[in-house]
Amino acid sequence: MIEVKSLEKIFGKKQALHEVSFQVKKGETFGFLGPSGSGKTTTIKILTGQMRQTAGTANVFGIPATQLNTPEYRKRFGVVTDNSGLYVRLTIYDNLKLYADLYGTSLKRIDEALEAVNLGTEKKTQVAKLSKGMTQRVLLARTLLHQPKLLFLDEPTSALDPANSKHIHNGLKELNRQGTTIFLTTHDMEEADHLCDKVAFLNKGVVQLLDEPKQLKKQYREEIICMELKDGRELEIPLKASSAEEIQQYISREMVERIYTKEPTLGDIFVEVTGRELV
Amino acid sequence: MTFSVKRFMAIFQKDVKDLYRNLYISSTALMPLILAVIYSRLGDIPLSMYMLVITLSLALVGTFLQCAMIAEEKEKNTLRGLMLSPATLTEILAGKSAVTIVITVIVTAVSMFIMDFSFTGRGWLIAGIILTLIFFIVLGTWMGLITRSVMEASIYVLPVMLIFGMGNMFMELVDQFRLLQVLEYTPGIQLEQIAEIADTGGSLSQLGKAFAIIGAWVAATLVLTIVTFKKRMMD
Ligand SMILES: Nc1ncnc2c1ncn2[C@@H]1O[C@H](COP(=O)(O)OP(=O)(O)OP(=O)(O)O)[C@@H](O)[C@H]1O
Ligand SMILES: [Mg+2]
Repeated sequence: MIEVKSLEKIFGKKQALHEVSFQVKKGETFGFLGPSGSGKTTTIKILTGQMRQTAGTANVFGIPATQLNTPEYRKRFGVVTDNSGLYVRLTIYDNLKLYADLYGTSLKRIDEALEAVNLGTEKKTQVAKLSKGMTQRVLLARTLLHQPKLLFLDEPTSALDPANSKHIHNGLKELNRQGTTIFLTTHDMEEADHLCDKVAFLNKGVVQLLDEPKQLKKQYREEIICMELKDGRELEIPLKASSAEEIQQYISREMVERIYTKEPTLGDIFVEVTGRELV
Repeated sequence: MTFSVKRFMAIFQKDVKDLYRNLYISSTALMPLILAVIYSRLGDIPLSMYMLVITLSLALVGTFLQCAMIAEEKEKNTLRGLMLSPATLTEILAGKSAVTIVITVIVTAVSMFIMDFSFTGRGWLIAGIILTLIFFIVLGTWMGLITRSVMEASIYVLPVMLIFGMGNMFMELVDQFRLLQVLEYTPGIQLEQIAEIADTGGSLSQLGKAFAIIGAWVAATLVLTIVTFKKRMMD
């Protein structure tokens, strides 16, 4: 579905993407993870034909992304980027009606799409009166109208509260089950872990790791013993032979309130691989 | 190149709904009407005064509406979304031009109705108005492509209004300032000539010359717009 080889993008003196390569297969949910400024949006812009790369290839549906600009191809994918806009003076319904007409889908889809993002009752509301999170959900509903085969989402839940994020996550999982391929960027590691079949770690324009979340966790497993002490302190000690004595001391002195092991999260792995915190 | 009437209509309907709620842009349409009301009280109105109101309404409403609608789509990041949909830039611009044409024609017709001006038997003038309107809409489209916000559009439209919309007023100063003679070749003044020639029964070749000059303006702005349009297609 998506095939990227040695992609480079240079803005003046700034190299935003450096030899980026990856593949997204049909039916996958692919997560592009990276901190702010790592090149996530730039990649989406190139893949959707909004920007031309400096070097390398970016193929989508088997053709160069720059050739996606025909109505036939447009109907096969959908995009929500962080700077997509809505018509603020119009209602949610009128905003979606425009796109339903442009894509030639039935008006019934408007209600279905709004239902999917939990906005079924807000149809008549003027967009100017919506919160950031609601606006983000309207944009998502707008790209769901034409039931695209491939969906590009640039940080789809960055402005949402946990309840609405969860609702969107469930919606995306359902879409994926029905066969939609999803390419999403995020700096939320839990979101990636929860949704993605495969993730790529992007740092300063370089892909530093690319694998299934499960594999990554297996590979980077370094289990940790967590202890909550009776005096209120919390300790994290690596599960290694050399730590045995330290752990034993706390136990024999009856200082331990609770003890358990912890798996590394994708976030921990990211920090380990790149030496950088996310966000 | 595909052109879908359905998508063109979708853009048209959206822009009509949006303009209806956009007082800042739609209130410019009131200017020619106010001018028409003031002039209509003066009694004996010379042809040049009618032509001033017509030209001003074409220049102000035609250019500004078109330019501001396009600039706002860029300012609010909505054009990007449209460009990623099946709609082509041609369909988008055609939809907007249609809105501008409808509103400009209504404003011009109502102003003339207020001033008690009759178009009956003035076929040449109507043809001239149509050609001039095309010029102003193409000019507005070009300005829309090069401006980034409605604020910028409001500033850029001022010289257009002065040079192209009120050129008729400056003609009286030509004797003092020879430089102003170039204004004689603006579409507005050529339109006034068309009205005069047609009314006094001048020759076809005189009429043809005026139409050719306006036509040249249309062709020049069209080329300018297409060149800009091609350049701006990609980031
Ligand atoms: N149009 C542009 N002109 C110049 N530099 C740009 C442009 N767009 C992006 N950049 C630079 O390229 C780099 C990558 O930007 P990009 O927007 O792709 O990051 P991102 O991963 O999407 O970040 P965020 O999480 O903040 O959205 C940044 O350093 C940015 O400053
Ligand atoms: Mg971004």
